[in-house]
Amino acid sequence: MTTDLEAENAALLQFLYACPAGLVEFSAAGAIGMVNPAAMGLLMPIAGRPFVINLFDVMDGCAPELRNMIHNFAPPQGTVCDGHRIVTGRGERSTILACTIVKLTEDRYVATLSDVTEQVARERRLKQAETWFASLLDGVDDVAVLSLDANGCVDAATPSATRQTGFTEAELLGRPLEWFDRPDRATAMPLPGEAIAVARRDGWYLHEGWHALADGGRYWCQRLVAVRNEAAGAAAGYTLVIRAVTRQGRDTADLRRMLTRDHLTGASNRAHFFETAERQRVRALRDAGSLALVVLDVDHFKRVNDEHGHAAGDAVLREVARRCEAELRPEDIFARLGGEEFVVLLPETSLMKASAVAERLRTSLAREPIVTGGIELRITASFGCSALDTDPAASLAGLLAAADNALYKAKRSGRDRVELSHPNQAAA
Amino acid sequence: MLTFEAISLDMLLTLEADQLDALPFGVVGLSLAGIVEIYNATEAQLAGLQRETVLGTHYFSVTAQCMNNFMVAQRLEDEAEIDEIIDYVLTLRMRPTPVRLRLLKAPQTDRRYILIQR
Repeated sequence: MTTDLEAENAALLQFLYACPAGLVEFSAAGAIGMVNPAAMGLLMPIAGRPFVINLFDVMDGCAPELRNMIHNFAPPQGTVCDGHRIVTGRGERSTILACTIVKLTEDRYVATLSDVTEQVARERRLKQAETWFASLLDGVDDVAVLSLDANGCVDAATPSATRQTGFTEAELLGRPLEWFDRPDRATAMPLPGEAIAVARRDGWYLHEGWHALADGGRYWCQRLVAVRNEAAGAAAGYTLVIRAVTRQGRDTADLRRMLTRDHLTGASNRAHFFETAERQRVRALRDAGSLALVVLDVDHFKRVNDEHGHAAGDAVLREVARRCEAELRPEDIFARLGGEEFVVLLPETSLMKASAVAERLRTSLAREPIVTGGIELRITASFGCSALDTDPAASLAGLLAAADNALYKAKRSGRDRVELSHPNQAAA
Repeated sequence: MLTFEAISLDMLLTLEADQLDALPFGVVGLSLAGIVEIYNATEAQLAGLQRETVLGTHYFSVTAQCMNNFMVAQRLEDEAEIDEIIDYVLTLRMRPTPVRLRLLKAPQTDRRYILIQR
């Protein structure tokens, strides 16, 4: 005989088994207490195996910031994050999860997880359309209009353009579209020719970024390139509409930093890396150029955490990011892939040059100890390099796997060293 | 032999309901469409569910979303014949629980079985 209470319990369990959103209860150390099947279904592919015991361990490869966010959340209870996006996977078939975490007590947290991959793709398209309409509907004062020839060089400028940028018409004429770009590390500008290539293919191209002013400054704007005078299927020229975005205060900058930066180290985040890397790869293929990846992993990092605590570990990661970024060019992307693993994206770089860059990074880490909380830590890292010039057919995931293989070789042969991928192994 | 490792698909098909209930491991029998046709007492008790609420439902959508992936559901769908034991973690009563799963499917049989041993 089942009692009413038992029947109610069973109904509650069934409700949780069938719940389409993932639910996880865990401790401050990440140990999973309770988890429903939907959450397990989302976590298992990330873990790559069916043994999911600790939430932080599972997420370390794609959302290492979760541990920091929980650690840094001071109130005794409350919402730690709401809809925090996590990009899983390594390049191909990335699933995007939205994660909300509520702190119940010092050692008890509840998280919801849901797959928002489709939603994110829809939002991106919607955002483009919105930007487009906003630029049409808003006041004409902040819109500059220029004419580009078939190669994407300015062949006419309206007074609105000279007024907005401060350049004279003579200074503008003949300049390629990209001449006005003033990118920084947080903004991925399209590569030379990309805007025109996309506009030729789709009829239009839309982008947000920094543009030059005649006085040496720059301004944040939305840029629309639209095909004009399509004759016999070929674009005779383009119209370039530049709209200054007025809300370029702290909010926008903070938002962009949040969307592109890793919470702890300030390096680029995974989403920003994968987006930029894929763009660069396509570009390199088209122009028969190269593109290199350097994957690096801090040696014996677990020991730092175990012996000196997570605060020391965090300080090491921040210093590793700082030293590496100081050695790189503005166009290189230094990103945190997860845990103590970073990747450098080197545009227009051959495998041999990438190996020299990796060697420079290795030296800058090994040269002097990292000082944190009064202790000196000797930190080294192992490096693996791959590049398109020796493996032109590789996908982004393939390049990353090849660099990973080289990295493991560096680990196996004693750490604190640089290894290169071999194209015949990269296919594996 | 009626052990987790040794029991055969034919044996599972011939056992009476009370004999299935007496087995010390969970037995879930699914139709070709994934509908639960067999749900023995051991499994009901370990999952904390009442048999009558599980029978007739789609197993991987309603009760076992954590098996609705390439390791379990997809294999039962894709492979013509399986008899394999895999180590797995289920969320029984919302607790992550290490288990051994045995997947059983044969071309001449319309019913597939998942055996679950804690």
